[in-house]
Amino acid sequence: MIRILSAAVLAAVTALPVAAQDKPSNTECIAPAAPGGGWDFICRTVAKVLRDEGLIDGTMQVTNMTGGGGGVAYAHVVSKRNEDEKLLIAASNGTTTRLAQGAFPGATEDDVRWLASFGAEYGVIAVAADSEIDDLPELVEMMKADPRSVSFAGGSAVGGYDHLKILKLAKVAELEDVRQVKYVAFSGGGEAMTQVLGGSITAFSGDFSEVRGFVEAGDMRIVAVLSPERLEQFDQFPTAIEQGYDVTGPNWRGLYVPKGISDETYDAWNQAIQKMVASEEFQKIRADQGIEALDLFGADADKFVHENVAEIRALSKEIGLIQ
Amino acid sequence: MSDRIMGGIGLALAAFYIWAATIIPESFMADVVGPATFPIIIGVIIAICSVWFILRPDPDPVWPSLNRLAEIGFAIAVCLLYAILLPKLGFLICTALAAGYMSWRLGGTPVGAVLTGIGLSVGIWVVFKLVLGLSLAVGPLGI
Amino acid sequence: MEFLSSLGVGFDAALTFSNLGIALIGAFLGTMMGALPGLGPANGVAILIPIAFSIGLGPLPSLILMTSVYYGAMYGGRISSILLNIPGDEPAMMTCLDGYPMARKGMAGEALSLSGIASFIGAIFATIGLALLAPQLVKIALLFGPAEYFALFTIAFATLGGISSTNQAKAAFAAAVGLAIAMIGVDTQTGVQRFTFGEVHLFDGIDFLIAIVGLFALSEVFIFLEHRGSGDHKEQGITSIGRVLAPWSMIRSCIPTFGRSTVIGFLAGVLPGAGASLGSFLSYSVEKQIVDPTGKTFGKGDPRGVAAPEVGNNAAAGGALVPMLALGVPGSGTTAVLLAVLLSLNITPGPLLFSQNPDVVWGLIAALFIANVMLLILNIPLVGLFSRVLLVPVHILMPLVAMVSFVGIYGISGSSFDLILMVIFGVVGWLFRKLDIPLVPVILGILLGNEMEVNLRRAMTLSDGDWLTLVGSPLSITLWALAIIGFVAPMIFGRKVKRAIAEESDEIAVGD
Repeated sequence: MIRILSAAVLAAVTALPVAAQDKPSNTECIAPAAPGGGWDFICRTVAKVLRDEGLIDGTMQVTNMTGGGGGVAYAHVVSKRNEDEKLLIAASNGTTTRLAQGAFPGATEDDVRWLASFGAEYGVIAVAADSEIDDLPELVEMMKADPRSVSFAGGSAVGGYDHLKILKLAKVAELEDVRQVKYVAFSGGGEAMTQVLGGSITAFSGDFSEVRGFVEAGDMRIVAVLSPERLEQFDQFPTAIEQGYDVTGPNWRGLYVPKGISDETYDAWNQAIQKMVASEEFQKIRADQGIEALDLFGADADKFVHENVAEIRALSKEIGLIQ
Repeated sequence: MSDRIMGGIGLALAAFYIWAATIIPESFMADVVGPATFPIIIGVIIAICSVWFILRPDPDPVWPSLNRLAEIGFAIAVCLLYAILLPKLGFLICTALAAGYMSWRLGGTPVGAVLTGIGLSVGIWVVFKLVLGLSLAVGPLGI
Repeated sequence: MEFLSSLGVGFDAALTFSNLGIALIGAFLGTMMGALPGLGPANGVAILIPIAFSIGLGPLPSLILMTSVYYGAMYGGRISSILLNIPGDEPAMMTCLDGYPMARKGMAGEALSLSGIASFIGAIFATIGLALLAPQLVKIALLFGPAEYFALFTIAFATLGGISSTNQAKAAFAAAVGLAIAMIGVDTQTGVQRFTFGEVHLFDGIDFLIAIVGLFALSEVFIFLEHRGSGDHKEQGITSIGRVLAPWSMIRSCIPTFGRSTVIGFLAGVLPGAGASLGSFLSYSVEKQIVDPTGKTFGKGDPRGVAAPEVGNNAAAGGALVPMLALGVPGSGTTAVLLAVLLSLNITPGPLLFSQNPDVVWGLIAALFIANVMLLILNIPLVGLFSRVLLVPVHILMPLVAMVSFVGIYGISGSSFDLILMVIFGVVGWLFRKLDIPLVPVILGILLGNEMEVNLRRAMTLSDGDWLTLVGSPLSITLWALAIIGFVAPMIFGRKVKRAIAEESDEIAVGD
């Protein structure tokens, strides 16, 4: 991933006329990646909606801090900004996956406070439109008959979330050695899909939004959506669960805050983010992006993240990804 | 002679690189080629080129005199100090000091160098911070 | 003439007074960002995203602003290459090879205006190609599987020998060093860390921007320090900046170059993962093999050596929009940022874009035309102003270059680590220059190394270890043949080269 200069500060402030005393000012959101990615989008959306709704005083600065798949930002927050009460940091499955696998050196999920989850995008398994594979059972049968005959392409590295979805599926399907299934990593979902379209690779593992355009154009076919129930707006696609394989792959998006902030500040942020999520503007942005609701705040969010980390850790241990 | 020394350094680097490639931890999922093969090939190429430098060196370049070398050494030190102190002292102070030093050493008069340092620092700050809206390091002055 | 009527609709929407103003501002800002080392097209667009949103621009004006900045940066990169021997961004690296020698010969003005025209030609033809052929061209991208990509990247390294006519072992050494640096970071195919030694800042690898700014810009500062007061030619500066417009005879001599380089650059751009750098590199090396196989004039200020990479990188910039628009696959860092812009404007690039949102596509294409015409108009008269940079005293210019480099890099990561890394690259760059080790292959290795390795390993994974997969398609066999020709041809001419060098041994070696 090419790292890009930090783009910051939503300028041209439509400054709020009266600044209430209790509203946080000089706030900042760290996107642990370059502009243009998912984390960057979280920060920019949060910054915009919080300001538009008058939930913060002035503008929220968006700072991009790349490195270590979010590890640099995580270490920065823990070691240098632990008591910064004006700081939010974007997080997602990428964060919890790396925490679970110990990819942030010396850091655990208990080093920060998890503030909110406000959306999830579900994983899909898709094939090229002219593929012989019709549904998930057929794909799984192929995998069982000869694991080396099936290959998957995904936008994350080996051991990353796109790969974990396939490993989960292989485990549920009771393959003897789930590592036998080929997974080829690409630097993004789009590149991975190009190879599936070009015919070098059997199937694609990624997020729903990545394949949506190709499915609507008739180039790709979704064999399974990895959500608990069918997607609200796209209920024509069957889930893996209804095809007999209990696999879900939600890619959640949310925020964390430094560990050392006061409970009052944590509650204030919690309230502000809840109001933000309830706003019309946020609801519209989320719907436009094809992201489903997964609204958990405060203690609920904290619990969710810990469970999420525990689940990925257990899976990673079981397949030998970590000791 | 310079090329021979370079070749020696290159060989040492290649050896270190190949050693570092052999200690790449084993993954839970090995692919056919493996994560170490390509780096080892690269290390071997570096080694071959280094041996070539030792056997067939080019004529020596003109190396600068000792005080010139010291000059460059000081400049490197200033750059490193700049890198380390930037987050602590903030952009304006650091840049004024570093740019002023370089301007002085590149032939500016002391007064001119001070002005250049301050001018560049403020100028870059205005363009990058105010016009482009980038976040630069904030110092004790709050800017 | 469906094409013309569609284009007419696009222009109808795009040609308003305010849009032209936006294009002018974007072109100017883009040129400046392209010219500043460390700030490339990707950064330029990324920086302007929030500004565009906060002043509430609509989709079409936003697109016009972004494309003007995008192309402006591609144009601007050449300015610092030619004037300072420091590439403003990575595709402009090849422009240093002949652009800087031209400036040293007192032809800075000619080099700037010629390269401006070259940029325009590459960009315009690429835009036409994009408009006419995008849906068909996508099929080319689909032909390239991992094995074909591996062969393609091999071509780049195989033709490296043709680039620097001096010591081949040193070029190979430089490329290997670049490749070695590229290996640092997490290995995507197995998920393990390589050469990071537990340092979290290295987990994502070393950004090529840090290397390019350190190797070129900072080492240039050290070179100036070394020569200060020694009466060396470096220190005297350039007193003549040449004519503001390249003579017609020079432009005419470059016309065949324009043609060849447009095609090569455009095709390189169409392939995701290859991009503008490969476009400008291949354009230059092919041009050198065709018109100057013995290395008599290239690297010493040949106008064709300035035109080829500039046509190539601008054509590639246009080509890179093909997979971005038609597949939603960004082929470079810059198109990745452009993609993000489109997404936030609620435009989803992909196979449906051309049929469902023709207004957006044609508006964008019209925006590209407007941006390029604006850039040509802006760039030619400004040649005189730009080239005056050479008259700025060294003790102001060089600190400026160094500080802008630091600012650009600090913005990437917000940490001292990358700055220290950049200083180390600066020292290495200075040493390499002293020892006549070329710097271009180092950057090439860093830029292309990962893609080359990863595609080899993808191919081998898919074939279960059967090496014959690498020559398993007619396309890959063709690419291998080209690689072999590119590698062998300079060897055949090698004897002539040696004789030519012996004849001109008194000339100053340039082209580091």
